[in-house]
Amino acid sequence: MARMKFLCDADRCIECNACVTACKNEHEVPWGINRRRVVTINDGQPGERSVSMACMHCTDAPCAAVCPVNCFFTTADGVVLHSKDLCIGCGYCFYACPFGAPQYPRVGNFGSRGKMDKCTFCAGGPDPANTQANFVQYGTNRLAEGKLPLCAEMCSTKSLLAGDGDIIAKIYKERVAKRGYGSGAWGWKTAYRETIAG
Amino acid sequence: MLVVADPHPTTWAALSERKDNTYLLPICTQFECDGSRTASNRSVQWGQQVVKPIFESKNDYEVMYLLAKKLGFADLMFKNIKVENNQPLAEDLLREINRGGFSTGYSGQSPERLKAHMANQDKFDLVSLRSTKDAPPEIAGDYYGLPWPCWGTPAIRHPGTHQLYNTNLHVKEGGGTFRARFGVERVVKTKVMEDGKEVEKEQRFNLLAEGSFSVGSELKDGYPEFTYGVLKKLGWDKDLTDPERERIEKIGGNNPDNVGWAIDLSGGIIRVALEHGCIPFGNGKARAAAWNLLDPVPVHREPIYTPRPDLVAKYPTYPKAVRFRVPDIGFDVQKAAVDKGIAKQFPLVLTSGRLVEYEGGGEETRSNKWLAELQQDSFIEINPADATERGIKDGQWVWVTGAENSKARVKALVTQRVGKGVTWMPFHFGGWWQGQDQRKNYPAGTDPIVLGESVNSITTYGYDPATGMQEPKAALCQVAAA
Ligand code: SF4
Ligand code: SF4
Repeated sequence: MARMKFLCDADRCIECNACVTACKNEHEVPWGINRRRVVTINDGQPGERSVSMACMHCTDAPCAAVCPVNCFFTTADGVVLHSKDLCIGCGYCFYACPFGAPQYPRVGNFGSRGKMDKCTFCAGGPDPANTQANFVQYGTNRLAEGKLPLCAEMCSTKSLLAGDGDIIAKIYKERVAKRGYGSGAWGWKTAYRETIAG
Repeated sequence: MLVVADPHPTTWAALSERKDNTYLLPICTQFECDGSRTASNRSVQWGQQVVKPIFESKNDYEVMYLLAKKLGFADLMFKNIKVENNQPLAEDLLREINRGGFSTGYSGQSPERLKAHMANQDKFDLVSLRSTKDAPPEIAGDYYGLPWPCWGTPAIRHPGTHQLYNTNLHVKEGGGTFRARFGVERVVKTKVMEDGKEVEKEQRFNLLAEGSFSVGSELKDGYPEFTYGVLKKLGWDKDLTDPERERIEKIGGNNPDNVGWAIDLSGGIIRVALEHGCIPFGNGKARAAAWNLLDPVPVHREPIYTPRPDLVAKYPTYPKAVRFRVPDIGFDVQKAAVDKGIAKQFPLVLTSGRLVEYEGGGEETRSNKWLAELQQDSFIEINPADATERGIKDGQWVWVTGAENSKARVKALVTQRVGKGVTWMPFHFGGWWQGQDQRKNYPAGTDPIVLGESVNSITTYGYDPATGMQEPKAALCQVAAA
C-alpha cells in the first residue's frame, strides 16, 4: 500500500503562500489557525530558503504516542488523522510534534485551548463520508474523490509535492540528479556569485 | 466632485470627512456580468455572468448608459447597441469595439468567435495555443482568444497573432513585420563647418525594412502603411469589392487616396493587404533613437529628491515646461531640495513595490479573509544597521516622514532584503491617513478587513514626461520609533 507523503523542494519554493491560501480556502480554516505555513530562513541574504510546512504524517507518529485519550489513528494510505470528538485540547501533541503542526483555537478569554486542528492531507476526518458535519470539523475529503491535497496541486513551481512517497522520492531524485541542489543547483552562481554550504 | 466607481470603496472613498459631492457607486465584479475580457497576452475571452449582481450594485455598462442618459446623449452613444431595461447588450458592446478597433487589430474578435472558443477550450494546443486538427470549423486555425492584432472584420477569420513580428509565418497565419510607424524616411539636418563657413547638411535615413519581410509577402522588401493610394500604386485596388470601394471613397471625400487601413471602416484595405501576404501597418525598422521624445536615448537623470545632491548639477531633471497643459515644475523642486539640504533631513531612500498576497490598491484583496490574514499590517523594510542607529526593533511601530512633510505610522520590518540607506514599502495599503484609522469613514460593512497607511502619502513630486507616469519608486524619508 502506498504511503502518502509531502515533500517541499526548498530549491524551488518562492514563498508565494499559494499553498497556505489554498488550504485555508479549501477547508475554511478559521483566522489564526494555520494547517500549513511557509518558513523562510536567511531572509534577504544569499542562501535564503523557503520551505512550506504542515503535518508530515509521520510513520510511528510522536503525537499519537503522547496523546492521553488516544485520538490519533493512521489511515490505510498512511495519513495521520485524529478525532476531534475525543480530543480534549491538552496540547501534549504540540510538544511532541517536531514540526509544530498541531494548532489550537483559543476558546475562552483565559487562553484555554479548543480541539486540536492540523493538516489532514485533504483526507477529511474519521468518518470517510463527505458530510457537512465532517466538513465543519475537518474540511473536505479530496483523497476520497481521488484527488491529491490542494496545496500541492496549486503550487505553481511544483516545489510542494504530495502523493505516494515512492513516486515523490523518485521525482525529487531525478530533479537533484539533473540540476543539483543547494549552491550546486543550476542558476545559483548566476544569482548569488558565491557558494554557500547546504 | 468625487465619484468612486468600484466593487470596493477605495482609499479615496474613505479619505475625506466631507459629506457632500462624494459619490460611491457600487460596481459589479466581472462574475456578475457578461462580456469580453482582455488578458495581458493580448488574447480575449468571453465571460459569462456567474451570479446576479448582489446588493444594489450595477455593472459598468448600465452605469455608463445611465450617465449618458442623464447627460442627454445616450441615443447617440448607444445607437448601435441594443439596450433593454437600461442594460446595454454585452455582445453589441464588443461589436462596437470591433468596429472602432481596426487600428489596434481589436476588430476580428466578434462575440460569436469568442464564444466558440470558450465552448471548445479543449480543442486548443496548450503550447502553440492553436486549435487542434479535430477542431470544429468555427475555430479552425485560430489561436486561443484571438490575440490582437486579429486583423480586419470577423468575416475574414484572421486567426489572431500569438507572437508579434514573427516573419516566419504568413500574415494570415498570425505572422507579421515591424510596424512602419514613423514614416518611410527620416531627414536629419545638421550644421557643419566647411571652408570656414557654416553650411547645413542633410542626411536621409530609410525607415523601412531592408531585405526583411514575412513569409508569403508579395512585396519582398520594406513597405509603408497601406492606404487606398498605395493599393492603387500596386494595382491591388482592383481586388476591392464595390461596396468596399464606395465606403472608402465616401470616407475620403476629395482625397480618397489618403484613406488608410486604420480608418477604412469597410475593412477592405486590410483584407486586400492580407491577401497579398502583407501586414496593413507596413514593414519598417525598429528604432533605437526615439527622436520625438525628450531623451531620444535614455540618459541618467537624478531623482527630484535625490540622496546624492552633488550629482544634480551634472544630471539634472528635465527643464521647466508645460506638457499637455500640465506644468512640470520638477526642475525647481529638485533645485529647492538641494538648496534646502533635504537629503540631510531625510537620509533614507524610499522605494515601493508589491506583495504577492495583495493586488493594486489592495481594497479587493484586503477584503479577502484568506489573504488578509497573511499581511495584517502596513510596514516598512529597513536595514538592521539603519534600524540600530535609530533604536528600532523588528515589528515595532515607527513613523515614516516623507520629504514633502507627510507622515505614516507603520510597522518596521528589520531585514537585509534592503541595503543600508534604503527602505521599502508595499503599495497595497490604504484606510489609514497620517496615523489616523479611517475605518469609520467606510459605509457600514464595506470596510476591508485590513487597513493601513498608503505609501503614496510618502512618495513625492515627479513624473515621467513621456508617459505621464508618477514617481513612486524614488523618494526620500526619515524613520523614527513611534
Ligand atoms: S505554493 Fe509552492 S512555491 Fe508557493 S509557497 Fe507553497 S510550496 Fe512554496
Ligand atoms: S502532528 Fe506532528 S507528530 Fe503528528 S504526524 Fe503530524 S508531523 Fe508527525
